[in-house]
Amino acid sequence: MFNSDLTKHLAELSKISFTDDELEQMTSDMTNIIAIMDKVCDFDTSKKAYALDAVDYNDLRADEHKDSYPTEKIVANAKNVKNNSFVVPKVV
Amino acid sequence: MALAKLREMLDKKEISAVELTQQYLDNIEKRDKDINSYITVCAESAIEDAKKAQNTIDSGNATAFTGLPISVKDNICTLGVKTTCASKMLEDFIPPYDATVMEKLKASDIVMLGKTNMDEFAMGGSSQTSYFGGVKNPYDTSRVTGGSSGGAAASVAADLCAAALGSDTGGSVRQPASFCGVTGLKPTYGAVSRWGLIAFASSLDQIGVIAKSAEDTGYLLNGIYGYDANDATSSKKSEGNYTSLVGSDVSRLKIGVPKEFFGDGLNDEIKTAVLNAVEYYKKLGCEIVDVSLPSLEYAVSAYYLISSAEAASNLSRFDGIKYGLRSGLGEDFNDLIKNSRREGFGNEVKRRIMLGNYALCSGYYDAYYKNATRIRTQLKEEYASIFEKCDVMLTPTAPTTAYKIGEQENDPVKMYLADIYTVTVNIAGLPAISTTCGYDSKGLPIGMSLIGRAFDEKTIIAVCDRFEKDFDRKEAVL
Repeated sequence: MFNSDLTKHLAELSKISFTDDELEQMTSDMTNIIAIMDKVCDFDTSKKAYALDAVDYNDLRADEHKDSYPTEKIVANAKNVKNNSFVVPKVV
Repeated sequence: MALAKLREMLDKKEISAVELTQQYLDNIEKRDKDINSYITVCAESAIEDAKKAQNTIDSGNATAFTGLPISVKDNICTLGVKTTCASKMLEDFIPPYDATVMEKLKASDIVMLGKTNMDEFAMGGSSQTSYFGGVKNPYDTSRVTGGSSGGAAASVAADLCAAALGSDTGGSVRQPASFCGVTGLKPTYGAVSRWGLIAFASSLDQIGVIAKSAEDTGYLLNGIYGYDANDATSSKKSEGNYTSLVGSDVSRLKIGVPKEFFGDGLNDEIKTAVLNAVEYYKKLGCEIVDVSLPSLEYAVSAYYLISSAEAASNLSRFDGIKYGLRSGLGEDFNDLIKNSRREGFGNEVKRRIMLGNYALCSGYYDAYYKNATRIRTQLKEEYASIFEKCDVMLTPTAPTTAYKIGEQENDPVKMYLADIYTVTVNIAGLPAISTTCGYDSKGLPIGMSLIGRAFDEKTIIAVCDRFEKDFDRKEAVL
């Protein structure tokens, strides 16, 4: 059963902050969405052993040194940059 | 006008690349205010591209794409040109590189007119979740275009480009093509490199083509397909030459019609139009084969669980630090990320991330994500069995025609269930093409889809082209 505690847990995992009103709306939306997702639980898995499907990877490229993009271009889209580095709030 | 015809006119100097580009820019200036199909119009750089293309033509070195003006969906990275994914999160993002498809087309001196509007991060089927406002249908501007490549489809339908690049994760090329009365091709998974396509669900995403005809979709696919060392899932199996079967005899082919696609929930007018198309192929001499996809009933749930799980992971890169919106709120590192994502993402994107984390989190993973992947395997097996009996499968593209703006796009459950006829193609990694097969009583286009074997785009393009040649297509009038 979906409830606001589960929504808060998922919000934490998703790293998204919500106001109380937004949380209430999200709980309501997720309750309705999970109701249709429950359909997968009806799928009969007892008939055979299913391999968990994986994406086919083709030829992996050779592990060779290549020049990367210039640092200035990589940091150009960041909002807070100092000495060609991303600035973040103090962590420790 | 057909891309091959435009090529001929450019090569014979009946029109210059600059004149052709200017015509489309004029169309955009006049008409796009009514439909909002572009987020960014690159008027100046398009004219520069066109001048360069004309030099190439004049020097006798033109290729198939030189000087052809196209639009590009705004989730495909374009060097130096804003690529927003229709999100506030990426409102100012300017990629430092081109997607592989753009590198290929630019090497042929194609002209990029601009970047088209879409559902935010390609999550939606209405093109109304864009941060830059919704897209309106050129056949009736009070209605949606479908999505997520709604801007791409509308730009083609309204003659605001010669053809368009879109992307298709669960129907996002085919369904808007259906709603906007044009042709949309979703290639086989791996046929086209995803390098530079901003990731939504990596095992399902595929760049596709929207144009006025099946032949044109194949024409443009010739310019973008192929293995790419930057995308480990791209394939060497594609052979190109996608229009080589156009005009060939398709009357000996077997066409599968799956009963599960014609049940409850399908609009009667759509059912009639699609079954009329089946009758057309029967009269042509094709053998019509009854086939079945019994696990269709699980497809929408499996699709949303897999795609959302992948989206939750893919979109974790948007943290407000490296690129994208950075919130000014919050004291610490975690607050910065959480507030940036709160301010930057729209509601539907947040729902998908939450759903994805639900499917992946402890206690739910086995019942939801694992079962969804088992259903994926089952659907692949059912398709393999179908293609032992027939060469292509014919289905409706969507259960309805374009609906009124505001009618259902705010109800996520209704929106998800409407993807029923398109998602299995992505789940199984197959190619499919949607074209118009009729018009409903309101004059709105009805789409049918032709689904083919993996890497057999040529056949579905040829079968689709045969129908289009005998079909009286009506242009949108803006």
